[in-house]
Amino acid sequence: MDVTPATSIDAVRALAATDVGDRDDVYFALRPVFVTRREDLEPFDVAFDEWWSVARRALGETSAERKKSRTNPSVIAPTDEPKTAATSTYLTRWASSLSETEDDETVPIAAPSTRDAAGTKDFQHYDDADLRGLEEAAARIVRRLQSRRSRRWRIARRGARLDARRIVRLALASGGDPIRLVRRERKRRRTKLVVVCDVSGSMDLYSRFLLQVLYALQHAFARVETFAFSTRLVRITDALAGDTYREALDALGRASDGGWSGGTKIGESLESLRVGWPRLFDRRTAVIVLSDGWDTGDPEVLGSALREMGRRAGRIIWLNPLLGSPSYQPLTRGMQAALPHVDVFAPAHDLASLERLAAHLSF
Amino acid sequence: MKEEIARIQHSMAEQGYITDRATATAAYLAITLRKPLLIEGPPGVGKTEVAKVLARVLDTELIRLQCYEGLDVATALYEWNYPKQLLHIKLGETSGHSIAEREAQIFSESFLLERPLLRAIRATRQAVLLIDEVDRSDEEFEAFLLEVLAEHQVTIPEIGTVRATHEPCVVLTSNRMRELSEALRRRCLYLWIDYPSLAKELSIVRTKVPGIDERLAGDLTSFIQGVRRQRLAKTPGVAETLDWAHALVALHADSLDDDVAIETLGCILKDESDVRHLRTEIEARGASALVAAGRDAR
Repeated sequence: MDVTPATSIDAVRALAATDVGDRDDVYFALRPVFVTRREDLEPFDVAFDEWWSVARRALGETSAERKKSRTNPSVIAPTDEPKTAATSTYLTRWASSLSETEDDETVPIAAPSTRDAAGTKDFQHYDDADLRGLEEAAARIVRRLQSRRSRRWRIARRGARLDARRIVRLALASGGDPIRLVRRERKRRRTKLVVVCDVSGSMDLYSRFLLQVLYALQHAFARVETFAFSTRLVRITDALAGDTYREALDALGRASDGGWSGGTKIGESLESLRVGWPRLFDRRTAVIVLSDGWDTGDPEVLGSALREMGRRAGRIIWLNPLLGSPSYQPLTRGMQAALPHVDVFAPAHDLASLERLAAHLSF
Repeated sequence: MKEEIARIQHSMAEQGYITDRATATAAYLAITLRKPLLIEGPPGVGKTEVAKVLARVLDTELIRLQCYEGLDVATALYEWNYPKQLLHIKLGETSGHSIAEREAQIFSESFLLERPLLRAIRATRQAVLLIDEVDRSDEEFEAFLLEVLAEHQVTIPEIGTVRATHEPCVVLTSNRMRELSEALRRRCLYLWIDYPSLAKELSIVRTKVPGIDERLAGDLTSFIQGVRRQRLAKTPGVAETLDWAHALVALHADSLDDDVAIETLGCILKDESDVRHLRTEIEARGASALVAAGRDAR
């Protein structure tokens, strides 16, 4: 929460408008001044509680007189038990449990914002409740990435609409006859996305989250192609196009046919992508690789695949969940081979890191 | 509670808007401190209504600017009446005025089309300016808006600077589709309106649908409260609750049985997968079980 001197002034003015003896009055007067977003509500409650008891003591009142009359949601403490990784990957579990029904549909949704105010809870620590709220949060974040598309107008020789303002100005010189016509068209930012996601064993902790993101991306952007790989590459664009996330997961499970376990061959997979879909890569394409860089293949192949891809594509973005840990160094041979050819190397381990993705996608 | 705040809450209730202390206090502060009020919350909870009711309570004009992506200064602030200008130029072709004189003529008040923001600034008494769904506009427009809110004046190149004589009371609403800038947030007082509690929603239904059967009102409200707790593509807001209440009254339903519930699901659920899901639930557990679940939870 940002508190500036201007805020303090407003706070004093707000207090002047209320009855300072009444706790609720003071609470409801100060809250709109200090809080600037929904996520601030709970920290403000905590801070106000502390401040009020101190202020009361200073004024000599006993704490027994504190009324708990306001009806606000109580602070929900985030749980911190890390989810123990299963031996098989998330996708193979899904593939084998397609008939499982979730009968806990009426469990209250703990949205990430109430459990994780700044979006900094690492995804590997997410439990089932977190994950349920994640779908909505991922969709929201991706929509924001999408809204970088502009609908403003700019002058264009063969635009669809006339620019009336300029025409009138120019018509002055020709006695009111609009001889010179100026046209305009909508500005378009035409970023294409190619997303390549590592779903091998080492990425399992993050798979559940990343697939949500992939699903959200698929539905938000007009031009996305999505691929998944472990030992080989599979195109999953159509599988992700399902109407609901559950349908998408079903289709993914079917598409895997045993390909999601075992080692990781990043280089070979990227090379097969470059060779198999050459038309995908042009100056307006952003390639997003989601991987921790643990490669059992040949690092040479990885390096050259990325280099060749980078020649045609506009930007290569490598998102590594391990970057979320401050002590991580990209020392694996795979990562070392890849880094020189990568334009943006960024973390992807929590919601906050996702939001920062927006800056890298406009170029 | 301070008398003025209580009075505002009471006046709003008189105009048919049931609200709580948080909203009344925020509205009161917005008026007294002359700061804009930013209201966020899920769709359908009554954010826009706050501005409308405030205008009625203050007995003043409501000026509404509906935001959308691509909204620019011309549509929000002012535009010149181009056809009229062209005609005027054409007719005055032989009048002998210089170009400079003619230019001064056509860029004058009578050729100016006032849009909401300019109207709000030039209003002859304090109006309520509602900037609806400001998250749908883009960052450029937001920067422009910030300037207007800070200075309460705008500059029209051909005419000059226009200053507000009666600063409007500004209410902004947002569905959180896009993250609003820090600068805008800090300039405003903030209010989060969430889905109402069972008691509050019940009193809203009773107020807006007078004459509704007590039991029916209780049942449908509890049902909706339960539905909201489920995982839906489009969670119903208070507007949907009221639609449903009106529909049930029109169908002369005196209780919420399975058939009526299934038939009228379209009033509260606007997504096909949600409708299918709830229909299955009702067939499996029965509408009354869902009513009980909604009433008891919490």
